Amino acid sequence: MAEAFDAAKLELPQGTLDLLILKALSLEPQHGWAISERIRQVSAAALQIPQGSLYPALHRLERRGWIKAKWGESDNNRRAKFYELTRTGRHQLEAETDAWRRLTVAVRLVLDMR
Amino acid sequence: MLTDLASDLRFRWRALFRRAEVERELDDELRFHLEREAAKLERLGLSAAEAARRARLEFGGVDRVKEETRDARGVRVLETILRDLRYAIRGLRARPGVALAVIATLALGIGANAAMFGIVDRLVFRAPPLMRDPAHVNRVYLQYSFRGMEITNGSIEYRRYLDLSASTTLSQSAAYAQADLAIGTGQDAHEMPVDVVSASFFDFFDAHPVIGRFFDRAADSAHSGGSVVVLGNALWKSRYGGRRDVLGQQLQVGSVNATIIGVAPAALAGNSGTRPASAFIPVTAYAESELPEYDKDYSWGWLTMIIRRKPGLTIEKASTDLTRLYALSWEKERALAPDRGPLSLAKPKAIVAPLQALRGPETDRSTSILLSICVVAAIVLLIACANVANLLLSRAVSRKREIAVRLALGASRRHLISQLLIESLTLAFLGALAGVLVAEGGQAVLRGLLLPGKSSIGVLDDPRTLLFACLAALLAGLLTGIVPAFQSGRDDLVTALKSGVREGTRQRSRTRSALLLAQGALSVFLLVGAGLFVRSLQNVASIRLGYDVDPLLYVSTDMRGVHLDKERDIALKARLEEEARTIPGVERATQVLTIPLRQMRTQGFSVPGIDSASHLGQFLMQMGTVDFFRTMGTRILRGRGFDSTDRRESPRSIVVSEGMAQKLWPRENALGKCVKVGGDTMPCATVIGVAENIKASDITSDDALQYYLSIEQQRPAGAALFVRTRGRAAQRAEQIRKRLQSLMPGPSYVTVMPMRNIVDGARDSWRMGAAMFLLFGLLALVLAAIGLYSVIAYNVAQRTHELGLRIALGAHAREVLRMVLGEGLRFGLAGIGIGAAIALAVGHWMQPLLYRESAHDPLVFLTVGAVLAIAAIAASAIPASRATRVDPSIALRTE
Repeated sequence: MAEAFDAAKLELPQGTLDLLILKALSLEPQHGWAISERIRQVSAAALQIPQGSLYPALHRLERRGWIKAKWGESDNNRRAKFYELTRTGRHQLEAETDAWRRLTVAVRLVLDMR
Repeated sequence: MLTDLASDLRFRWRALFRRAEVERELDDELRFHLEREAAKLERLGLSAAEAARRARLEFGGVDRVKEETRDARGVRVLETILRDLRYAIRGLRARPGVALAVIATLALGIGANAAMFGIVDRLVFRAPPLMRDPAHVNRVYLQYSFRGMEITNGSIEYRRYLDLSASTTLSQSAAYAQADLAIGTGQDAHEMPVDVVSASFFDFFDAHPVIGRFFDRAADSAHSGGSVVVLGNALWKSRYGGRRDVLGQQLQVGSVNATIIGVAPAALAGNSGTRPASAFIPVTAYAESELPEYDKDYSWGWLTMIIRRKPGLTIEKASTDLTRLYALSWEKERALAPDRGPLSLAKPKAIVAPLQALRGPETDRSTSILLSICVVAAIVLLIACANVANLLLSRAVSRKREIAVRLALGASRRHLISQLLIESLTLAFLGALAGVLVAEGGQAVLRGLLLPGKSSIGVLDDPRTLLFACLAALLAGLLTGIVPAFQSGRDDLVTALKSGVREGTRQRSRTRSALLLAQGALSVFLLVGAGLFVRSLQNVASIRLGYDVDPLLYVSTDMRGVHLDKERDIALKARLEEEARTIPGVERATQVLTIPLRQMRTQGFSVPGIDSASHLGQFLMQMGTVDFFRTMGTRILRGRGFDSTDRRESPRSIVVSEGMAQKLWPRENALGKCVKVGGDTMPCATVIGVAENIKASDITSDDALQYYLSIEQQRPAGAALFVRTRGRAAQRAEQIRKRLQSLMPGPSYVTVMPMRNIVDGARDSWRMGAAMFLLFGLLALVLAAIGLYSVIAYNVAQRTHELGLRIALGAHAREVLRMVLGEGLRFGLAGIGIGAAIALAVGHWMQPLLYRESAHDPLVFLTVGAVLAIAAIAASAIPASRATRVDPSIALRTE
């Protein structure tokens, strides 16, 4: 159950939520709930973002033109708002992933310093 | 990047204007999420109710998420503004009276400024339409010293233009002039403005002919060029109905019988500041028809020269190089005309100046008057703003309760202030909208005064003027909104809620009085200016010219390529003079050589016993026939004018002006003296009379040196006619023109011009100054009177209670009347005092614009003071009489 991991939950650093959303959308278009589920599953529930904060982020990304939204049928035949990456969004994901990798490598080097 | 921006804008647009739809979608989206989460939790074994609760808990507050999502749309600020805007419009509709007064006031203020801007922008700032890269285009002026005077000239000789065009600092150069030429032949002929341009002129513009082509360098070359014409778009449409088969047809333009080779686009109206060209003909073709030896010497300066600097070359570099070439050119000129001064004395200098004539080195009275009228228009806007601020302030006072309630309900002061500002900005923009309409109508009037004969230009179709009106509205909105907004932001909440509307704070009434005084003072200032200009105009109008105006008609001939030898020309002019005398309504006629105020002729002369007499000043020469002085109305003071004894074979006669007689023979009788016109070797002309001085070169000049020779004796070519009619010449002009036209050979024709038009033209700048100052001064007066009225009326309304009390205690109606009128009059007098002080202080700036009128003329100040005092009394009379009718019982019962 989720509660078991509560102690291990991590606070998200500023600006990472956007990256996570972009990544979650990189395979296929998804609706909001599925995005939050995916992030939870893949991160082994270590990253649990408050579900509500997903939506302001989604709308902000949509305004920036990194993702676009359209209404479609969900797997249980309900009307749901699906988000997908745009071309700019994909470039952005690559750039941010790259930046994130370099940052983590650099931080680890500093932390491992003897 | 661009598509990003587009998607961003699309997103925000939808968020702003499809708000309901976007909100509904957000609801749906969040509900879907919660349901899915709940469904998941149910599958894990929770009850439906517990699952829904847990889902909500996981989600966080739905309303908070919604708010954050709305913020993420990035239209928060706009949403607030839109809401305030709607609120403002509702508020204005609730009080249409105030709103209308404010809008009307601002409309006058902004309209006056927009109209002025439209004109000044065209005269001073704007490049001609279609001009390519105007930042690198300049106009060339030439300057040289002559007898210690710097002479600056924007009219350049053809040969000089060629000399200067050789400069390596230029990538292009062109020359042009505008001439009124008759287009067409016979009954069909009309005089129209024609641009005489070099072929390179067209290269300055991004313009392509509608049909055909522009002329090329081959067509525009001296003595081998072509007689070709490019039609202006308007002429093509009006005369040829826009037909495409005009190419190749012949068209008589002035003396040039030209082949139509193209049609210019409508936007290519020629050069800025002049009338749009009906047609374009080559410089060379026109010059050859006017003066065949135009390219041989430097005697005829008539062209405007424009240049395009090479990219990156400064104005200084260009003028240095052009000055170098001008010096070379000056030496060439000296070889042809030895009387030109040596380089060391003349110091010729080329000036590279902005294209717009009003920004060039040749400035005149009209420029200064135009600038001062701009200041005046800005002052009118200030008065309008003060007025509106006052109106809004009084409204803010009566809305004090409303504002206090809203503050108590938790509205932030910042929001309240921004809301009041939005309200005044809304009013200002509505005012600007109405103002643009005022300007559209008013500009027709201004154009008539400021740009006689200029192209028809509108306000509504001109983006720059509209932008200016918007900026003016923004400024006015901020100016008028800021005072009431901050005043209401300062109010103490508790006292405001407790007290009635009655008590206005002292602070506020001080602000209002200050605004009122500013209005009064500024309108006094403008009215004083108007008074000074009107008096100047009166003085100018009462100048004794030395000739009559209304009965005189100037008749000149345009030979249009018909070549008459000198004898036949002289015979033709004599026939015209004879014919003119036989026309009913014509009293007298004379041949003349020049027309006063328009043309000047000089010729050197020598006088026995006086060294280099003709260098004692500038002596202007005129010639006339027997009836000359009686026709012109110029008085002979001593001796006689020309008569039938001054025949071709009799000894030469000369009439000199009184000023010339005094200059040459100060203590002697001028009659009988000898003047050798043309130099020592010429025979004596005997002074037979002394005439009064006339205004020959300029209406306000102190011209005094003139002399007159007999046309019968001198037999010059190219004489013109003055005809004296009974009554006004303008009424008989057409009849006289028709009769004289019948004597003209071939396509040549006569043109007639009433002397009144010429004199009025010379008085234009005076008339313009007086009319504009008067117009704006009265506008200011009306605004100030309305402002005073509204303040007094408001005060009376505020004091209803007190007045009722006074009346109940036995105050007489007359005392109440005196009290209220006294208040208005005090404002008026204070305004007069301050305004008069301003006017006295800045008088020295006005002085150069006035004619024989002191900028401190007490008569003007007293008159303006009286007018303003009367206006103040009139403005407070209505509220005063209302005050006397206050019913004490009702007044005491209110609140």
